[in-house]
Amino acid sequence: MGVPFEALIPYGVMGVMFAIAGAAMGKLKHMQSGGKRPRRNLDAWDRQMMNRDRRLTGYLRGQSDDAMAPAGFELNNPWRMEKGIGGING
Amino acid sequence: MSARQPRFNQQVLIDTTPLPDDVPKVQEVGASSAPLMSASFFIGARCKPYNDDYMMCKTDANGRGELECMREGRKVTRCAISVLDDINKHCLDEFRAHWKCLENNNQQMWKCRLVEHPLNKCVFDKLKLEKTIPGTPEGQAPVHTKKRSIYM
Repeated sequence: MGVPFEALIPYGVMGVMFAIAGAAMGKLKHMQSGGKRPRRNLDAWDRQMMNRDRRLTGYLRGQSDDAMAPAGFELNNPWRMEKGIGGING
Repeated sequence: MSARQPRFNQQVLIDTTPLPDDVPKVQEVGASSAPLMSASFFIGARCKPYNDDYMMCKTDANGRGELECMREGRKVTRCAISVLDDINKHCLDEFRAHWKCLENNNQQMWKCRLVEHPLNKCVFDKLKLEKTIPGTPEGQAPVHTKKRSIYM
């Protein structure tokens, strides 16, 4: 009696589907991070620094090593607000 | 009516009013997170007095020091800009290699030791700034100078 390989075919199919899904997720994350490996385990400090990077360069993972910031950087930090009945814009 | 929690994600206001003219104008630091992480120990080596002054001012102000500590803050910014300027002038290639490695590795310094050694050497030779890790136990080699490490 040989190995009943027909019974293992469904497991093979499931494994291939997991592999395709994993590869697709990895590729998606890679593309979303601008061609770099994705960041993981982000804490509040890292999120704040990435926000600053986005204000500085326009991209969440964009980096720049100039010593001085471009003009207008010191003024582009947004105030987050809510639409209120009696507020400035509502 | 009971008050509800504010929801600060509905709108954004960008206030473009500049600071008043009696505040001296200082350019902001233009490095983003990875170059700043890479240069952080060198900024610390050169700017330790200014940084300590600013931290002491903020701690003494008990949470109200935004306007009172602006003078020390300007000194911190100018010093950091000077360090980044010098690194850019003298050690640009090693610096770029290091922060590109950091950016690819979740900004964890222990993954980029191979690229860090030339940068430390270049900055020490040209700018006389040495990277020290405060709080290293006595007698133990600092972790960035170990010859054999588990992770390279």
